[in-house]
Amino acid sequence: MTDRLRRVFLPNRSIDRATAFVLVAAWAASALAVWSLSPWESLPGPREVLGALGTLWWQHGMGPELFTTLKLISHALFLTVVISLTLSYLAVIAAFRPLVAAVSKLRFLGLTGLVFPFTLMTGGGYELKVALLTFGMTTFFVTAMSQVVLEIPKEQFDHLRVIGASEPRILWEVVIRGTLDKALDVTRQNLAIGWAMITMVEGISRAEGGVGALILNQNKHFHLAEVYAILIAILVVGLVLDYLMGLLVRVLCPYVMFERVHR
Amino acid sequence: MSGDLMLDVEDVWQKLGQNQILQGVTFQVRDRIRPGQVTGQVVAMLGPSGVGKTRLIRLIAGLDPLQRGRIGGAGGKALVAGTVGVVFQNYPLMRHHTVVDNLIMAGVANGMSRDESRARAKSLLDRFGLGQRLNFYPAQISGGQRQRAAIAQQLMHQKQLLLMDEPFSGLDPAVLEEVVKLLIEVAHMDELNTVVVVTHDIRSAMIVSDTLFMLGRDRTADGKVESGARIQQTIDLVAEGLAWRPEIELDPKFAQVEKMVKGRFRSL
Repeated sequence: MTDRLRRVFLPNRSIDRATAFVLVAAWAASALAVWSLSPWESLPGPREVLGALGTLWWQHGMGPELFTTLKLISHALFLTVVISLTLSYLAVIAAFRPLVAAVSKLRFLGLTGLVFPFTLMTGGGYELKVALLTFGMTTFFVTAMSQVVLEIPKEQFDHLRVIGASEPRILWEVVIRGTLDKALDVTRQNLAIGWAMITMVEGISRAEGGVGALILNQNKHFHLAEVYAILIAILVVGLVLDYLMGLLVRVLCPYVMFERVHR
Repeated sequence: MSGDLMLDVEDVWQKLGQNQILQGVTFQVRDRIRPGQVTGQVVAMLGPSGVGKTRLIRLIAGLDPLQRGRIGGAGGKALVAGTVGVVFQNYPLMRHHTVVDNLIMAGVANGMSRDESRARAKSLLDRFGLGQRLNFYPAQISGGQRQRAAIAQQLMHQKQLLLMDEPFSGLDPAVLEEVVKLLIEVAHMDELNTVVVVTHDIRSAMIVSDTLFMLGRDRTADGKVESGARIQQTIDLVAEGLAWRPEIELDPKFAQVEKMVKGRFRSL
């Protein structure tokens, strides 16, 4: 017991699952205690926020709003994955590298200035939100994934050439299948980026609803407890999505688990 | 007794940027003939780190274009990538495939059916002591086991020339002994099999080989190392009576030749 306790506080030590669970529970309990005892009036207490969450869920249709948001992020993520993976895999062909590099550089543009041209292109509404989110996520996705592709060791290509594999086979085995776990990791990170951007994007056009529109409406009326309740809902759904992506990596790429080094 | 030419490397030069790496490398490997016995060839290319051994392997394997010179296989055939087996230094296997699937992939890539590949893969892995590791991922097996799997992968398709880059590095003594045995077994599976081992492990090289080639750079009169390596010395271990015998390392002559080779190695 003493040794277990000591390991928790020493650097570079591994701990077992049960200890890790206790640690998480202890931190969560501490956060809840600090929140409950908080003297700041601008921070509503847990009871108040929980009550607001119930009201939002049962009386303000928070469930359908969340569904709208999830539909939007799913649509944008699907387009992002298709466009970005195609561009990233094309990075193995020298002719496409400048295009891939240019798309990656567009991440410095930011979304605010793009609302107007994108509105003209898409006609606004749902399409505008999908376009903005897709653009925002694609630039980051291509940056990370093209780097993964360009950093594949030359040895892996040579290895397959030596065993007599054709170039399309090498592309499949080394570039596509060989980086699947990393592609899923990048998707996971970009889902988080997209989820963080979603309230801002949904605020641009509120007609279709979504949690972004809901939070802005509550902001407008200074319903602080409701705002915190929506923030908590966004965080929890984000964490669930992240967990599901992690699960997908473990199911599709079980070998990754054996490569992880636990200190 | 020597027979047909199995590998012919003639006046190979290679430059990397401004650096001359290889400078007129020339050597030949001929079929070793022992009446009544299947005898493949094992030659070791000895040289210090950075001398250009791996560069030479890549040229022989057809992975890099020749800048100058000629490399031919058995019957003078030009060697192209895919016709020569290569076991690279860190035994690369596809990390997303199990051990058996890595071998099947090599079989299928060479035109074998999936069923045929699976049967051959299982038989090879059994023979190499990996029968219990078929469905393990490369990350789940040890370095020695990975090396055996990498060698087995190269044997999925009949390739008579097998190049091995530093096959002895980083192995513990027990695994090293195992690899030495395996290498000898692979070489003598067929009369025309030729294994080229590139290494700086003199002792292991002498145990497995019938010929030693020492690759190194020339030195000026005042001891300065010149750029560009070539074959500095060839030692025929068969002629020395130091090949094809078990426990050859116990022969007193082995120790004498080893000492001589080590001395020469230091000056490469």
